[in-house]
Amino acid sequence: MSAPAAVPSRDNLVEIRDVSFKYGTRTILANLSATIARGKITAIMGGSGCGKTTLLNLIGGRIRPSQGQVIVDGINVPDLGKKDLFELRKRMALLFQTGALFTDLSVFENVAFPIREHTKLPEPLLRHVVLMKLNTVGLRGARDLMPSELSGGMARRVALARAIVMEPMMIMYDEPFTGLDPISKGVIAKQIRELNDALGITSIVVSHDVVETCLIADYAYLMGDGRIIGEGTPAEVQQSKSEYVRQFMDGLADGPVPYTYPARPYLDDLLGGGGP
Amino acid sequence: MKIFQTLGAIVVNGLERVGRAALFLYEVVSGSWVLLRRFYLVIQQVFAVGVLTLLIILVSGLFVGMVLGLQGYNTLVRFGAEDSLGLLVALSLVRELGPVVTALLFAGRAGSALTAEIGLMKATEQLAGMEMMAVNPVTRVIAPRFLAGVAAMPLLAAMFSAIGVMGGQVVGVGLLGVDSGAFWSQMQNGVDFHDDILNGVIKSVVFGIVVSWIAVFEGYDAVPTSEGVSRATNRTVVYSSLAVLGLDFIMTALMLGEV
Repeated sequence: MSAPAAVPSRDNLVEIRDVSFKYGTRTILANLSATIARGKITAIMGGSGCGKTTLLNLIGGRIRPSQGQVIVDGINVPDLGKKDLFELRKRMALLFQTGALFTDLSVFENVAFPIREHTKLPEPLLRHVVLMKLNTVGLRGARDLMPSELSGGMARRVALARAIVMEPMMIMYDEPFTGLDPISKGVIAKQIRELNDALGITSIVVSHDVVETCLIADYAYLMGDGRIIGEGTPAEVQQSKSEYVRQFMDGLADGPVPYTYPARPYLDDLLGGGGP
Repeated sequence: MKIFQTLGAIVVNGLERVGRAALFLYEVVSGSWVLLRRFYLVIQQVFAVGVLTLLIILVSGLFVGMVLGLQGYNTLVRFGAEDSLGLLVALSLVRELGPVVTALLFAGRAGSALTAEIGLMKATEQLAGMEMMAVNPVTRVIAPRFLAGVAAMPLLAAMFSAIGVMGGQVVGVGLLGVDSGAFWSQMQNGVDFHDDILNGVIKSVVFGIVVSWIAVFEGYDAVPTSEGVSRATNRTVVYSSLAVLGLDFIMTALMLGEV
């Protein structure tokens, strides 16, 4: 099941070794290596389209790398067949950017969904578990609402409750702060931290929201152009002198990451005529 | 040269899609046995694709039957054979119009809804979310809908035919004065269980499988954007209708054994 080289380190839940991923001819990730420490919050920050979400999809086994190993809890994910992959996924959760709640089920049933699918828990017990998880995210009172009646922040908290209902060893958050108002951002950040500490869950937070992410993360990777361009504790990253890191952390329009999409010279384009 | 290239690409892509659809059908059918233990999932969908389609089927059936009564009477009365009106109405409905018109309406009402629902679930990452929760969406979402479609179609076709006969009777006997006894007894004598009714049922089962298959596949294979879902819905209706009409000819030819 696991690859021969996969000797897991006790401290690292996820080890990404020399992974490349190509989409058609485009290289999304190039020889990327990173480790995610057990029981910690690891942030992966970077601009849009730098391959952050691709990395989460690789860890979750939704896509296979062109080369390299993705080792989760001692198992090389790309080697797994569908059945083993599903077994592994029962122990991890991915919180989608949109929440991905089932629109035809109520909040209660959304949270109950993984339990109903994977266990034969008696109904009274199931109710207890679901209400406890909903209470954790402060939405016990919203159990009868439909997803269409929730605000963006509430929907994400329901999705969070659903993600923790099977008590996973790891939660991956894909852009948990995007599109939320400051209060909701703070609430989500607090909940990520609390869940991590209270349940001992390993968390991976993928985000381009520097401030919120640095507040809760134990360790941060900075990605650009399919590579790791900086890493360290949030404090170290914030102090970094690297041009890439500075551009991202300070939100500069131009720098090593160019502002303009590659094009032929401006003057040629305007005066040269030809097609559009 | 370019024309051939484009043509080749269209053919290759088309074949590839047919292949994917076939593999998908295999996956759906082989994943269906799990539903024996959770039959309520199928029942819920039978309500969505069957019961909610009932109104349009019944209204259409009634009008088709009434038109058949009018047209049939007009032709038959020239030969003094208006007593056979019941037979004509019943045979037209049971053999052809019942299965075919029901399948076309079913594709338009239930098929397009299935495609749109599944396509939107894909676009909003609900299917991906399900996969990440270690739940196979083909078994949990697709298979119940497919089975429900297959189960609902013959029932809807039967109701279409039944209410169509009533419509024919209302017009023929009620308005145009055909003898009620002749209307029903000619029907009873002339309609054969095996040659007419059973063949009609076979047709409706086949149409049910084909329309449901196309609908769930198009939804699952949709490009996950607004435009992609609308195109997929469009394709469901077009392909289902064409498939139903084409298959109807082939099956009729086989059943009559005259071609």
